Amino acid sequence: MAKILVVDDSSTVRDEVAGFLRKSGLEVDTAVDGKDGLAKVRTSPGLKLVISDVNMPNMDGLTMVEKIRGELANAALSVIMLTTESSPAMKDRGKAAGVKGWIVKPFKGEAVIETLKRLAS
Amino acid sequence: MISAHAKESFDRIFRQAARTRLVTVPGGVCEIRPLSDLAPGEAGLADTHRVAVLTISSLSFRLLIALHFGDDPATRGYFAGTGEARQHADAFMEVANLCSGAINQALVDYFPDLGMSTPYVLTNGSVAHWRELRAQHTAFYALAIDTTVKLAATLCVCANAPIDFVAHGTPVEGTSGELELF
Amino acid sequence: MGSYVAALIVAGLSAVSIGWQRTRRRRAQARWQAHIVSLEAHVQRASSERDAIHAAELARLGSEADAREGGLHAALEQARGEADAARAALASAQAEIEYWRADAARLASEAQRLRGLSATFERWHEQMSSLMTQNHDMHQKNQELSAIVSHVLIVSLNASIEAARAGAAGRGFSIVASEVRTLASRSQALSKSYQDSLDRNDLITTATFQDIQAGGKMIVASLGTLGTLAAQLQSKLEQAAA
Repeated sequence: MAKILVVDDSSTVRDEVAGFLRKSGLEVDTAVDGKDGLAKVRTSPGLKLVISDVNMPNMDGLTMVEKIRGELANAALSVIMLTTESSPAMKDRGKAAGVKGWIVKPFKGEAVIETLKRLAS
Repeated sequence: MISAHAKESFDRIFRQAARTRLVTVPGGVCEIRPLSDLAPGEAGLADTHRVAVLTISSLSFRLLIALHFGDDPATRGYFAGTGEARQHADAFMEVANLCSGAINQALVDYFPDLGMSTPYVLTNGSVAHWRELRAQHTAFYALAIDTTVKLAATLCVCANAPIDFVAHGTPVEGTSGELELF
Repeated sequence: MGSYVAALIVAGLSAVSIGWQRTRRRRAQARWQAHIVSLEAHVQRASSERDAIHAAELARLGSEADAREGGLHAALEQARGEADAARAALASAQAEIEYWRADAARLASEAQRLRGLSATFERWHEQMSSLMTQNHDMHQKNQELSAIVSHVLIVSLNASIEAARAGAAGRGFSIVASEVRTLASRSQALSKSYQDSLDRNDLITTATFQDIQAGGKMIVASLGTLGTLAAQLQSKLEQAAA
């Protein structure tokens, strides 16, 4: 039962992040965009943490989070954004949508693994 | 419409972003050489090369960033590692995304409302039609990472209002990769 | 007889002295009496003066007190008037805050509603995606056409060669083969030109698509900021009205 969901339209990022987390002993699933991510959140009850990009086709990451909080009324799921975006306006929108944390790409696994493990437990 | 300061600033920001984000192996060196035009021979590119294209939009302008990459073993090996063509394109698209992201972060200090697109792969043949975009400012570069990986770049700025700003290309290294908890 | 006379003289002197002393005493008494009367009169005068001063003082204090009371009344009236004015101003300010609160609520809800624009962008994205797919389709078709034309060119060349081998008998066929080669050549040129058009189309479509995508994000980001400010304004006004 996957505890973490990695959402990014780039297969490179999915492989890199999911691969790193799996090496640390965590169970990880992946999604290719916001729509796919939302569907996977709906069907994965054991999910504790979502790590998502912002800029994706079909449905961007922040819209996905807003729908998770809104339509799915899921306030317990922790969501961390992993994105190139760093503008205060974006971060504010993330905060308002209920995002728990923000990582500006590139992903540096060593720096964040402890916190991610904690959020996924 | 686009002041000399602005043009220099775009140049500085691009160079900074290329140096910090195209070099994926720490300690690598990225040489950047400006070109007057993107004649394939000079940039070391063939017509079959592909291009990762992204756009950054603001209220007063849009910036099209095109990073030309080849299918040769050196380029493949540096960015993807595995052999499949689609994975190679995917891997390079992400690198282009990071580079563009760095440009976005640098510009956001001067243009508060900025949006960035997702990357898309086109062919050299398509980007050769850059004149159709009627840009007010175009810049071409030949890049070489560790002397073996040859890339090229085309930047086009289309402005709908006067643009003037001075950017010093401050490095964004300090903030990336860390988890900021809300 | 001398002593009798002396005694009589002494008596007589005494009587005179006594009489004189009595008179002196009476005079002294009268003087004291007069003194006393005079003092009493003084005291009386002083007393009435004091009473008069007291009365005057009282009267003065009384009228001062009256004046002060009058002043205090006036001040109180003025203060009452000012309090009434302040109450009226507060009531009208509260009424205004109510209007502003309603306006802020409308602003916040409009900003929230406009967040739905992200659904519009998704729709545009889908439309643009289908355009890109069509472009890709056209590329494919043109590639196929180009391949066919190349093949026709080769076939026509072969045909010309065969016709030449056949000598005089193949002359008619040779002419046909030549025409086919010409047509194939023109088709090839056309196909290349079409490829060129498709390439140009690709760049413009991609650039436009990306501008719309990026522009959309810019708008949504701005709306987010606007929404946050509107919500802050709303809560500030709600606190002020409470």
